[in-house]
Amino acid sequence: MSNIIGLINYGIAGNIHSIKKAIEKAGGVVKIVNNENELNSIDKIVIPGVGSFKDAINELRKDGLLEPLKKAIHTKPTLGICLGMQILATLGFEYGKTQGLDAIKAEVKPMLVDAKVPHMGFNTIDVVKSNLLLNGLENEEFYFMHSYEVINYTEIASLSDYAGHTFVSSVQKENIYGVQFHPEKSRDAGLKLFKNFIEL
Amino acid sequence: MRTRIIVKLDVKPPYVVKPVHFEGLRKIGLPVDLAKKYYNQGADEVMYIDIVASLYQREILFDEIEKTANELFIPFGVGGGIKTIEDISKLFHSGADKVAINTYAVQENSEILNEAAQIFGNQAVVVNIEAKKWDDWYECYTDCGRIRSGRNVIEWAKEVEARGAGEIFLQCVDTDGRQRGFDIELSKQVVDSVNIPVVVASGAGKLEDIKELIEYARPSGVALSSLLHYDKYTIKDIKEYLRSNGIEVSK
Repeated sequence: MSNIIGLINYGIAGNIHSIKKAIEKAGGVVKIVNNENELNSIDKIVIPGVGSFKDAINELRKDGLLEPLKKAIHTKPTLGICLGMQILATLGFEYGKTQGLDAIKAEVKPMLVDAKVPHMGFNTIDVVKSNLLLNGLENEEFYFMHSYEVINYTEIASLSDYAGHTFVSSVQKENIYGVQFHPEKSRDAGLKLFKNFIEL
Repeated sequence: MRTRIIVKLDVKPPYVVKPVHFEGLRKIGLPVDLAKKYYNQGADEVMYIDIVASLYQREILFDEIEKTANELFIPFGVGGGIKTIEDISKLFHSGADKVAINTYAVQENSEILNEAAQIFGNQAVVVNIEAKKWDDWYECYTDCGRIRSGRNVIEWAKEVEARGAGEIFLQCVDTDGRQRGFDIELSKQVVDSVNIPVVVASGAGKLEDIKELIEYARPSGVALSSLLHYDKYTIKDIKEYLRSNGIEVSK
């Protein structure tokens, strides 16, 4: 069975290089997806992302990927990473109000916490609803680097704690997964997560 | 909150060097080898700073950076000689996760911080501060501790936060490379004056220095170089020591 992982390349803000390298290290085959045709020729989707919610959506629209991606994530296993998880939500509130891919009923808002923001560094995840992606990764440490968080009540896969503030660190709905942390920056635990995704 | 243990690689291409007071360079090794060594020891992050790019007005060496990035599955910051949004974009495509800006923002155009934060996100924009102590204030230096700017470190720290920087990487011209302890007063003042993470570099010579800094100033991260380059301790030793002293660090 063909198992090509398509990494969505949009705009100047992608952390594509390090994710590609990590998936390959985990044994996967990666193809960079720049347009709708390329999106049709892959089997799984990874949405990377550093930057702002608004720019991400604008870039996807500019590349003609926004509408095709909205459909494709419901037919191909999908993993959104950091901003890539956030744009799976219904609405984002970074630099104004922006509609997301609307795969997860959620809003993305600034982290309100009595501590330094961005939340940056290694932190553990508390798996509240286990799934294949997080298999064997309960209580592992992952690298976080974010100022916004996904507010969701129904599709939570794991929670994390930052300075007494509990936030959603990963979500799952059917074959759509999102992680707030950066598996590509999380040593062996991150590589194991990619391995789980490859084996889905 | 786990305090991050970060390795600072001062690079004078092609070598990682270790300056004392930002001068008197000694060659330590190649960035790619050292990055791998410290990754395997459990470093939480690597910060690669080309210490001559600004001073010599030289191009950033993207190939070297990419080679180093390829060995790492932890965050990788890169600084030195950044002047344009295009430079930053190219660094991300070479495998950097964040960029550290000093000279250009301090001396020429601080707006680059606002622009970069909007395009790449706050978390990707680090401001590198080289502080020099005077009688009753600290001044921002640039070009690897050589050029004065007249700017007050604390005011600059607040300004860069307002401009959208997501992190401050604080170096100290007076203590760098001497291995005689951090300037903990400077560190505390900077940490307390902003709401973004502050990483403190310059001065670790023994384990107690690191503990003292963390307990007194509560930085988000500590950057180490000489201590590791001369194999006095491994990162694993350091983390074990901190943990046994009740300081939270990652595995």
